[in-house]
Amino acid sequence: MLLAEEGSSKIVEALHELNVQTIVSIPKVGPFDFSISNAVIYMWASAVIVFAFFFIVSRRLRKQPDGLQIVAEILLNFATGHLTGQIGEKGKKYYYLILTIFSYILVTNLIGLIPKPEFLRPYTPTTNINVTFGMAMVVFCVTQFQGISRHGVGGYMKTWLTPPGVPKALAAPLNGIFFVVHFMGEFFKPLSLSVRLFGNTIAGHLIILVMLGLLLEYASAVVIIPAALFVVIMTAFEVFVAFIQAYIFSLLSVVYIESAIYAGH
Amino acid sequence: MDADTAARLAAGIGMGLATLGPGIGIGYLTGRTSEAIARQPEASGDIRTAFIIGMALTEALALYAFVIAIILLFVA
Repeated sequence: MLLAEEGSSKIVEALHELNVQTIVSIPKVGPFDFSISNAVIYMWASAVIVFAFFFIVSRRLRKQPDGLQIVAEILLNFATGHLTGQIGEKGKKYYYLILTIFSYILVTNLIGLIPKPEFLRPYTPTTNINVTFGMAMVVFCVTQFQGISRHGVGGYMKTWLTPPGVPKALAAPLNGIFFVVHFMGEFFKPLSLSVRLFGNTIAGHLIILVMLGLLLEYASAVVIIPAALFVVIMTAFEVFVAFIQAYIFSLLSVVYIESAIYAGH
Repeated sequence: MDADTAARLAAGIGMGLATLGPGIGIGYLTGRTSEAIARQPEASGDIRTAFIIGMALTEALALYAFVIAIILLFVA
């Protein structure tokens, strides 16, 4: 965000945590910027954490599970049962995708909530709309692929038209309206998915950072005591939001994939 | 009033107005959910899932306005 030039108060200074900082700059290839920023590094870090967790657990499976294995089993049961379980037999294989999305979002959200010193260039990848939109596009592609491969292109398009049971005379003019509405709806799904995750995380971080900026700006007990209390409470609430948002993102992904599999029912 | 001031004013007022609808919506949703759970506690799992989906869809409306406010403040 373009926060740099506006004034020099401590509040604005605190908001610098939301800026992407380039660490290793690589020259642009066309319109694409491949340089490694702190956002990229934190994304890699959380991907490595997710991978290492499940890799280590899968190497040391035991009859009597210990702490790590219990956590992994709870996550797996959650993904296969509560989340993808509602699709039924046809959606069994999607628990890979959903479990990955869930644990990745959870880890990125929680990494951002850990207070870090300045030299680590703190950043939360999910406060960047590009990251969340990328994940939402993966879900979008899977959804459309499901719809087309199960119903064929024509059959899938037909589910966007007027539902059966409408009188013939009405159906013809309504078809156009229904098609446009469904077509736009398909494209608004990834948009709303990404904006929801991005908005929730960035709103929480903004509030925390503004309150921290207030602490630095006005060093008096009247401000410090309520602001510090508020920061503590908000951070606890953000941990809760991190879990809820990971859950909502994966739940809505399941709902979208399910709606493509059972399109027209 | 120059364009910059107008953008800031619009961001503030718009964000305030945009919280009204989702606020009412989530309040209604929560009330109905607790009513449903009180009436049928054994179905609380399904009800809670429906509640969370509904809450996510309602909350997104306020977040659209939030994104617009951010765009008004920092990009436009």
